[in-house]
Amino acid sequence: MAHETYLLDRSKLANSHTLEVARADGAYAALRKVFESSMSPESVVEEVKKSGLRGRGGAGFPTGLKWSFMPNHESDSRTRYMALNADESEPGTCKDRILMREDPHCLIEGCLIAAFAMRLDAVYIYVRGEYRLPYDRMQSALDEAREAGIVGDNILGSGYSCEIHMHKGAGAYICGEETGLMESLEGKRGHPRPKPPFPAGFGLWGQPTTVNNVESIFNVPFILARGADWFRTMGTETSPGNFLCGISGHVERPGVYEVPLGMSARAIVEDLAGGVWKGRSLKAWFPGGSSTGVLPADMLDTSMDHDSVKAAGSMFGTGAMIILDETASVVRSALILARFYEHESCGQCSQCREGTEWQEQIINRLLSGRGKSGDVELLVDLSNGMFPGKTICALSDAAAIPVLAAIKHFRGEFEACISSPEEVLA
Amino acid sequence: MALTAALKAEFDKLCTKYPHRRAGLIPALHRCQEELGGWISPETITDCAEYFELEPVEVYSVASFYPMFFLSPVGQHVVSVCRNISCDLRGASEITNAARQHTGAACGESSEDGRFYLEEVECQGACTSAPMMVVDGKYHEDLEPADVARILGEIQ
Amino acid sequence: MTKIIVNGREVEADPQKPLIAACHDHGEHVPHYCYHPGLSVVGSCRICQVEVKQGEMPARVVAACRTPVAEGMVVNTESQGAHDSRRECLEFLLKNHPLDCPICDKAGECTLQDYSFQEAQAEGRTSEPRRTLEKRKDLGDVILLDQERCILCSRCVRFMDEVPKSPQLCISGRGSDSVVETWQDAPLTGNYQGNLADVCPVGALTLKDFRFQARVWNLTRVPSTCSECSRGCSISVEVLRDGEVKRMRPRPNEDVNGYWMCDHGRFSEGELNRSDRMGPAAMRNDAGELNQADPDDALRVVRNLLSIQSNALFLASPYLTLEEGEALSQLARSCSTQAAFFSPAANDLGDDVLHTGDPCPNRRGLQDAGLKPMDSEAWAAASASADCVILVGERLLDMLGEEALDGLPSAQRLVVMECRTSNHPAVDVALGVPNRVERSGTWINVDGTAGAIRAARSAPQGVRTIVDLLANLTSASSQPEEALSS
Repeated sequence: MAHETYLLDRSKLANSHTLEVARADGAYAALRKVFESSMSPESVVEEVKKSGLRGRGGAGFPTGLKWSFMPNHESDSRTRYMALNADESEPGTCKDRILMREDPHCLIEGCLIAAFAMRLDAVYIYVRGEYRLPYDRMQSALDEAREAGIVGDNILGSGYSCEIHMHKGAGAYICGEETGLMESLEGKRGHPRPKPPFPAGFGLWGQPTTVNNVESIFNVPFILARGADWFRTMGTETSPGNFLCGISGHVERPGVYEVPLGMSARAIVEDLAGGVWKGRSLKAWFPGGSSTGVLPADMLDTSMDHDSVKAAGSMFGTGAMIILDETASVVRSALILARFYEHESCGQCSQCREGTEWQEQIINRLLSGRGKSGDVELLVDLSNGMFPGKTICALSDAAAIPVLAAIKHFRGEFEACISSPEEVLA
Repeated sequence: MALTAALKAEFDKLCTKYPHRRAGLIPALHRCQEELGGWISPETITDCAEYFELEPVEVYSVASFYPMFFLSPVGQHVVSVCRNISCDLRGASEITNAARQHTGAACGESSEDGRFYLEEVECQGACTSAPMMVVDGKYHEDLEPADVARILGEIQ
Repeated sequence: MTKIIVNGREVEADPQKPLIAACHDHGEHVPHYCYHPGLSVVGSCRICQVEVKQGEMPARVVAACRTPVAEGMVVNTESQGAHDSRRECLEFLLKNHPLDCPICDKAGECTLQDYSFQEAQAEGRTSEPRRTLEKRKDLGDVILLDQERCILCSRCVRFMDEVPKSPQLCISGRGSDSVVETWQDAPLTGNYQGNLADVCPVGALTLKDFRFQARVWNLTRVPSTCSECSRGCSISVEVLRDGEVKRMRPRPNEDVNGYWMCDHGRFSEGELNRSDRMGPAAMRNDAGELNQADPDDALRVVRNLLSIQSNALFLASPYLTLEEGEALSQLARSCSTQAAFFSPAANDLGDDVLHTGDPCPNRRGLQDAGLKPMDSEAWAAASASADCVILVGERLLDMLGEEALDGLPSAQRLVVMECRTSNHPAVDVALGVPNRVERSGTWINVDGTAGAIRAARSAPQGVRTIVDLLANLTSASSQPEEALSS
C-alpha cells in the first residue's frame, strides 16, 4: 500500500529523539522558515486553518479554527497559554506515546509554531503520569532545545520568547478532558468546568488558553514546512492529512500504523493488521476508541474519516480501532467499558456519577446470570438519560454511547443473558 | 516532618514553572510518594499542605482523586495489570491470574510478606502491545502468562 | 438590566447573575441543588434544566445556573423537555439515596422530596443495592453527617471555603466513590457551622441540636431578628405548637446578613425556653415573703415609690426595643432623670464574617431613644446612691449577676421587670415581662439598619408588655396616690 507518510518517518531513525539526529533530519526547519519568511502570527493561524487539520484527540474540531478563538492580543493583554494534552487515556489509543517517545523535537517544534501563531507566553505539556519514558524523553529534548536557544528567550534569534514546561498527571481519564486537564494542572481535582466560558476566554488560571492534542500539534511543522496545499493532498476533503491508526484486539498484527484519513477500515484491518486473528471472522469493531460505540462486521467498509464514520452511526474519535472476533462477548466488552467509565467519572454530575454505576451493576448482573426481564430496556432508557449534552462534560455521553451501540447492534446477546443465564455462566 | 530539605528544594524549583505555586502540588505528591515510603501518608499530606499554603483537607481531597496515589501503605513493588478492553481481548485475565499466583496478593491488596502490591488498572496506553502490566512504573508488554513469573522473579 | 421573556412574561434580568437568578427573582420556580445565591456557581447537580430559545437558534434545554442572560432570550421553565430532564436527574439521585424520610429531620423541607413530587418521579426502577456509607458521622458539637443521604452537591464544601473562609470539608475520592468528609474525621470548628444544615438540600448535614426535636410542618415560623450581637441578623423563629422555640434560622437579608447567621445566635434558643418564668407580678410583704400579686396593685406601689423618691435609677436591659426605650426615656424624664441601658462588655466573638463582638442588639436604638450606656462599674456606682432602682427587661439579672444586688443599700427600693424569677431579698416588686420571641418591636443594628422582632408565641398568662407597664407608670407619675398599706 503506497501512500505518502510523514508522521513516523523520523522515528524510524536510530536515536530519533535526540536533537542531533532530529535536527539533521530537518527538525526546527519549519520554525526557522516561519521566522525567516517573516510570517505574521495571524498568517500562521490562517495556514493551519487552510490545511483543514482536525484535532486528533477525539473531537475532531478544526485546529486552526480553535486557534483563532484566542482573543485579540491588542484588546486583551492577559497571559496566554497552550496546554498540550498528552493525557492519552481513551481505551484503544496509544499513538501520542510513540510520538513523544520517538520524536519529541517535532512536537516541541509544533508547540513553538503554535505558540508563535497564538502569541503565547508559555506552553504546558500535561503528560499522563503513567507515561514515564515519553515524559523523560520530552524533558531531555526540552533541555537540549533550551540549551540550543530553541526554547525560552529569543527563540532562534527571532525576538520571540516562549517557555515550554513539562507537567505530570497522576492517572484519571477525565484529566484528558480539556477543562478537567486545566483544573488538574492547577493542582486541583480534575473536575471539568462547564462551558461557557471556553478556554480561549477563561483557561489556565483564568487566562486565555488553547488545549490541543499531541498528534494535532505534531502535524503543524509539516503543514508550515510543506504548505497547507500539500497537506490537503492526503486524506479527504473534510478530513485531510494522515493519522496514526492504532489497531488492537483480535488481529494478527496489532500496531500503530500511519495511514491517510479516508482509508477504509477493511483495508486497515486486512492489509495492515493481517486480518482477524486465528483465522476467525469479525464480529464487531470500534472505529475510534471505546467512546465511539461498536459497529457490526458488515460495516467494515466504512472509510476512516470523521464524516464517514459519523454517517455510519459512530465517531472517528482517536482513530483507535478495536477488533472483536466471532468468539468475543459483546456483553463482556460492554461490562469492561461500563466499569471503566464508572471508575473514571469525576462524580460532579448526577447523571454520570449514578448512571455509570447503574450501567455497570445491570450489565454485571446480566453476565452473572442474574439478569431480569426489562433490564435491557432499562439499560437503554437510563443510558439515554445520560446524554446528549446533559452534563458538564462528555464523559457521560462517552459512557452512554457504547452501551447503546452494543445493544443496538447486538441486542440478542444481551437478551440471551436474561433468557439463558446458565449459558452465560458457562 | 516528612518532607526533607532536599524535597523542599526540589519543590522550590518545580514551582517556578507556574504562575501559582499550587500547580506544583501533583508533581510534588508524585515525588513524595517516590521518596517517602511509596505512599502518601497523613504526615506527607500535612507537610505538603504547609508547603503549598493549603489546608490538609484540601491536599487530601486532591490526592484522593488520583488513581496513582496510594493513601495507605502498599507493598514494596507495585504490579498493575491493565483490565481494559484491548488487553482483555488478548488475555488480560490470565495475566492477572498469573500475577496473583506469583505475588500471593489479591487484587487491590498487598502480599503478606509485603513485597508486592497487585492492582488491576484501566487503559495504560499500550493497547497495540496487549496484554501488559506495569511493574514499579515500567511497562511490560506483549505478555504471555509465563512472562509474569519471569519478570516478577527477576525483581530483587 | 437585560430584557428577557420568562414563561411568556417580559422581565428585567441582572446581566451579572445567571438565568436561574432572574427566574427566581421573578417568582418562577426552577429546581436546584448545587446552586445557591450566596455561593459560587458550579453547575454540577444538573437539575436546574429550563428550555431556552435565542433568536433563530432551535430551543435547547440548558442548566439555568450556568446560562448567562441575553437580550431577547425566551425562557420556558415548564417545557416538556425541561421536565423530562429533571425527572431523569431525580431518578439518578434517588437510585442511591436511602429511603430515610420517616426518620429524617429534613422531611417537609427537603427539596429532594419536593422535586420528586413536583416532577412525578414517584417510582424508581433500580433494583441495585444502595451505597452503604457512614450514617451518623460525628462532625463535632453542631453537625451530624449522613454520607448515604448526600447528593454531592458540594454546597457544604463551598460554604466553608467561601463564607467563614475556613476550608474544613471536602469531597474525597472520585465518581460514585466520592464522599463528603473532614480531614481525619476532625470535628468542625468555627462559629458558622449551623449554616451547613441550612445549605444542605437534603438530610445529609443536620443539626445535633434539632435532631428528632420536631417535624417541621408542626413549627410556626415568624420572621424576627437575632439578639446575640449588634449585627441583628434577620432570622426566623420557629416554635412548636405555641410552646418551645425549637430552632432559629437565618432569613435572607442582603443589607445585613446575606443568607447566614452565626452559631452563637442560632443556638441561643435554650434561654428562651427556660422554665423559671416570672408571673404577672409579685410583691414583698412585711414578713419578707415575695408573693404573687395583681399587676395593677404592683403598678400602684411602683407609682407611689416613684412619686416619693428623688433619685431613681432606671436601667434597661440591652434587649429593649426602640419603642420600649422611648417609653422608658419618657418615664425617666417625668422623674427628672435620664434612663440608662446596661452596656455589656465586648466579647471575643467578633469576626469579619457577621459577629460584631458587641452583645447588645439595640445599642444604637437605645441611644437614639435617649438612654445612656452604663457598664458594670458605672452601675455599681450609680446603684449605691440611688434610692430607687427600676430594672427593666429580659436577661438583665443574669447580666448584672445576682451578686450585684447583694451590695444594694437596704433602704433602697428595687423594682424588677424581668422574664425570670428572682428570690433575691433585695427585690421589692417584680413584674413579669415577655421575652424577645413574645413581643414585637424594633432594634437598630450596628450600621443603623432597623430590624424587627416579632412575637412567635404568647407570653405567659397575664404578663403585660413592657410598653404597657411603662406607659402606666408614666401617666400617673406626677400624682402621688395614697400608699397601700404594705
